[in-house]
Amino acid sequence: MVDGLIAKSLNEALEALDNKEYQIVAGGTDMLIQNRSHSGMNIDYKKDVLYINLIDELDFIKVDEKNLYIGANTRLETILESKLVPQILRDVVIEMASPGIRHTATLAGNIGNASPAGDSLVVLYLLDCELEIKSLTKTRKVLLKDFITGVRKIALNKNELITKLIIPKINLTDCYFHKVGPRLSDAISKLSFACGYSVENSIIKDLRVAFGAVYVTVVRSREVEGKFIGQSVNDLKANLDDIINAYEPLIKPIDDQRSNRVYRKNVAINLLREFIENIKED
Amino acid sequence: MPKIEFKLNDKLVTVHSTANRRLLDVLREDFNLTGPKEGCGEGECGACAVLLNHKIVNSCCTPLANVDGQEIVTIEGFSKTKRYQIIKDAFAEMGGVQCGFCTPGMVIATESLLNKNPHPNDEEIRIALSGNLCRCTGYNMIIKSIQKAAKDGDGIW
Amino acid sequence: MKDISKSINKVDNEEKISGSAEYIADIKMDGMLYAMTLRSSIVKGEIIKISYPKIPDNYYVIDHKDVQGKNIVKIIYDDMPIFTTKKISYLHEPIALVIGPEKEKIVEILDSIEIKYKEEEPQFEWEDSVVDFHFDKGEGERVFDHADKVISYDYETGYQEQAYIETQGFIGYQDGDKTTLIGSIQCPYYVKNALIQALDSEPENVRVIQSTVGGAFGGKEEFPSLIGCQLAVAVKKIKKPIQLIYEREEDMLVTTKRHPAKIHFDAAIKENKIKGIKAHVGIDGGATIGLSGVVLSRAMLACSGAYTIDNLDITGDVYKTNTVPNGAFRGFGAPQMMFAIEMFVEHIAKDLNIDPLEFRKSILAKQNDHTSTNGVYRDPILMPEMIEKAMKESDYLRKKKAYANPNIFKGIGMSFFFHGCGFTGSGEKKIIKARVRLRKHKNNKAEILIAAVDMGQGVKTTFRKLVANILEIDIENVIFNNPDTDYVPDSGPTVASRTMMIVGGLVARAAKEMKQRWREDEFVVEKQYKQPDYIKYDEENFIGDAYPAYSWGVNVVEVEVSKTTYQVKLVKTWSVYDGGKAIDEKVVLGQADGGLAQGVGYGYLEVMNHKQGKIQQKNMTDYIIPTAKDMPDMETYLYDNPYAFGPYGAKGVGELTLVGGAPAVAKAIENAINKRIYKIPVTPEYIMELINNAKN
Ligand SMILES: Cc1cc2nc3c(=O)[nH]c(=O)nc-3n(C[C@H](O)[C@H](O)[C@H](O)COP(=O)(O)OP(=O)(O)OC[C@H]3O[C@@H](n4cnc5c(N)ncnc54)[C@H](O)[C@@H]3O)c2cc1C
Ligand code: FES
Ligand code: FES
Repeated sequence: MVDGLIAKSLNEALEALDNKEYQIVAGGTDMLIQNRSHSGMNIDYKKDVLYINLIDELDFIKVDEKNLYIGANTRLETILESKLVPQILRDVVIEMASPGIRHTATLAGNIGNASPAGDSLVVLYLLDCELEIKSLTKTRKVLLKDFITGVRKIALNKNELITKLIIPKINLTDCYFHKVGPRLSDAISKLSFACGYSVENSIIKDLRVAFGAVYVTVVRSREVEGKFIGQSVNDLKANLDDIINAYEPLIKPIDDQRSNRVYRKNVAINLLREFIENIKED
Repeated sequence: MPKIEFKLNDKLVTVHSTANRRLLDVLREDFNLTGPKEGCGEGECGACAVLLNHKIVNSCCTPLANVDGQEIVTIEGFSKTKRYQIIKDAFAEMGGVQCGFCTPGMVIATESLLNKNPHPNDEEIRIALSGNLCRCTGYNMIIKSIQKAAKDGDGIW
Repeated sequence: MKDISKSINKVDNEEKISGSAEYIADIKMDGMLYAMTLRSSIVKGEIIKISYPKIPDNYYVIDHKDVQGKNIVKIIYDDMPIFTTKKISYLHEPIALVIGPEKEKIVEILDSIEIKYKEEEPQFEWEDSVVDFHFDKGEGERVFDHADKVISYDYETGYQEQAYIETQGFIGYQDGDKTTLIGSIQCPYYVKNALIQALDSEPENVRVIQSTVGGAFGGKEEFPSLIGCQLAVAVKKIKKPIQLIYEREEDMLVTTKRHPAKIHFDAAIKENKIKGIKAHVGIDGGATIGLSGVVLSRAMLACSGAYTIDNLDITGDVYKTNTVPNGAFRGFGAPQMMFAIEMFVEHIAKDLNIDPLEFRKSILAKQNDHTSTNGVYRDPILMPEMIEKAMKESDYLRKKKAYANPNIFKGIGMSFFFHGCGFTGSGEKKIIKARVRLRKHKNNKAEILIAAVDMGQGVKTTFRKLVANILEIDIENVIFNNPDTDYVPDSGPTVASRTMMIVGGLVARAAKEMKQRWREDEFVVEKQYKQPDYIKYDEENFIGDAYPAYSWGVNVVEVEVSKTTYQVKLVKTWSVYDGGKAIDEKVVLGQADGGLAQGVGYGYLEVMNHKQGKIQQKNMTDYIIPTAKDMPDMETYLYDNPYAFGPYGAKGVGELTLVGGAPAVAKAIENAINKRIYKIPVTPEYIMELINNAKN
């Protein structure tokens, strides 16, 4: 039978990880379900488990002039209630699961799970989120987009732990998140969409678009965004078809028990169009 | 064997078993607390809801490990309180109960909500219940029950 | 006497709210073993060989060889084996139970069982008809000979899963010769009769007790007989207490669901009026027939909806496919047909360029009109006033007009519908023959002895109230325990909206007699069902009064549809029902809310399908039922229209409240998107197709 180790300090956790390979469990809202066996039976983990949810030092929300820092263990509900957190991130969190789940689940868990339907990822990609990753001997930083490498695949070494999310403060004229689920709450996304822009003197200074659940990872293209930054709002709108054509090949959804690819693609494009059409000149 | 200690319904308890268990199983099997129910076993229905440090959690996807040193209150413990009396009377009066399988979870969700927000509006109530499925009532009377509880319990939350 | 409709608090509130009510999984017995089911991993074929590992002491495998009686579950049509002998006709068909004290070990045994199959090509097309019915009314098909034109459409409905929050389960134990099962069930005597046949036991050696039921909705009507038989066979052999409780995934994958249906209509039109309708109803029975024939007949009988159509030619088939067997679900065939006919009549009006509302109102059924089978609507029908009320409360006309603007994407829809109360045809008289008993105890208490199950619909409260009212005693002095077949007579199953009308009617009669004899110390009154003399029905030919009484309803649903994502948001609902006299208003209103939530869910939200025989939505994450955020505020008005033979005039309400939801929400969406809807659920994916492709 596999073991379970409850770490109460970061050091304890890193030392354990330095010793052997563990399955890391934070809130456990993904892990318990994915490793569930039967009612009344132990959770069917394939390797020893390191529980990190009770490490208080990883439960924080802080800001400085440049960034917002969210601890790996900060519960979704805490994020929801924090005034330090940008609205778009709170907008995604309130659409995740339900209060009962949000009281234990974490953003690090959503990232670690690396599901194409992970909702927070869309907004975190949009905000250029970086992760702080620690091992006993090393601290490194990595962009979220480089950290998630595929469906349920992350670039985390066996001896490492995500310790915090670093979210740069940016100034956008407007940004929002749109979840398209099968019902209005407590549901896995069919697809999701996040976007933002800033305008100065009618010129697009920043433009960001991210799609969730339409590809193996979140779709965000700096290249496409770059093409349109610098245009005037009017030109941008006139070029709507170009924008759609630029994103179209990147959106490659699948058919599954929740929806189908035609719908996903269509709605993704509709959301993109709606976003561009509603951009305001200053 | 690891030892996990936590406060359960106001008493300090110790569980000697692997940490790799669901809190729901520990409550139902080790403590015979069958108020929390298993409806789906995957965090979706809320029948298994309990309070962890005064906040609702789904005990079917809470690892036992995560309650070490924490405080758990189940419907059995909560039913000894005055707040419970108010919620209970409101549910009874407003028809919030049919088959009853979702009900203990609904009561826990109500407490978790009112503890944070004693005067919720309709939308806030619906959000607070969004993880508690009920197949019998269509929620209408449950929402009215919670409105009534908030009104009758004015001042105790 | 005080008005019986005035609500009281339900008698089981306290135990349910405090979490102390005992559901099946809450019951533990000393030395209890667990059972899990070995299932086929193929869809169709034969088992060639099963290789079991060495089974340790105190572990058991129970299969068809252990069935002492008949290896068939007694339902209505007896074609479901308790355990398959060899033949596999659907995925996950039960082969055996593996039983023992540790679940871990059971799983290990299950995982190491090897089965060799010979696979065959499964059938998923609707081709193999195993039940077919036909009936005519008036001129039947001949009316088409002199029609000006014929309007034809096809409609389709999907699966629906009961999604009771408590899954299926039983605990069984053996005591000498006696096998006892406690279970989450709707019909104690269905289970008992099935056990007698399966165990080849004497009736007195089989006992079935109902535990608190965490929702049922038809899903615990016939399915429990299957797993009850499996468990009882094991209990009788092993002679130890055994628990068999389904986990959610197993429950979703293998239990019965609402039959998917395809309905084709032709209408003979003359002078802009419907002269006659020809319809074919096909339903997917799944791998066994079970109740499908009865479901089909209820669907067919509902073919003219809340309207009177003089000439009908109605055919129907149950198709056998290699999919999970379908079965009872609140409404029982009527929801499929009510959706189809409501849309059809609307679509005919649109084709004829007549205002659909006026058109529909002009053909509403009236008292003394003939039903689809030439029975008679004997009692007054209040639909015109009920419709008025619904329209006024919902501001229907104004909204309907405003929402015709195609840029608004809001809609309002209204359905008219009825539900036949009680068993179809002469079921009550010929098959059920309900008996009820009332016992007067020495301490001046009265005990209700019936097999009716409180599964949340409030039977315990309403029956105690009924008896207390008649006896003019306090409700505390009326006893009503969960049915136990050792104590209660067979008052029939808790289905078909029959409980208050039929069983309650009998209980009321018994109570009246008891009232006369109240001075006596201790005695029992028993009553047996007698069909009202005027009710005559010819089962073979579908002629006569298929139901003793009818309940009626109007649902109005308002929606918003997103033109970006095609998602539907319910704004509000208004309902008006005539379910006869409400024995308790709050209980009826609760049924109204819950029924409508399931009905609209069926109409726009709840998607279930199979792929090569495998159900795709196998948990509550993938099978979407409404949450508190999805359901809107619901307003309900009850009309009091007493039925002479129901207690205090009560009819049926349980199912009525579900059948109108789907057409109402579908019509609302039609109104919002200005496109015609032909199938439910009306998902965003379907709405997208309609908006992008369909002509108006
Ligand atoms: C009913 C229900 C509804 C849900 N609804 C949504 C939804 O709407 N949207 C959505 O996106 N998700 C949803 N989820 C999924 C889940 O709740 C989220 O993904 C959540 O954020 C996971 O957090 P956790 O802390 O519980 O993760 P855990 O289950 O503890 O862990 C998830 C993964 O992350 C890894 N991990 C966690 N923390 C760290 C760390 N610090 N360092 C390295 N690796 C780590 C773990 O090893 C594991 O692989 C739902 C789940 C349930 C049960
Ligand atoms: S049993 Fe825990 S949420 Fe359903
Ligand atoms: S009362 Fe039955 S599920 Fe809510």
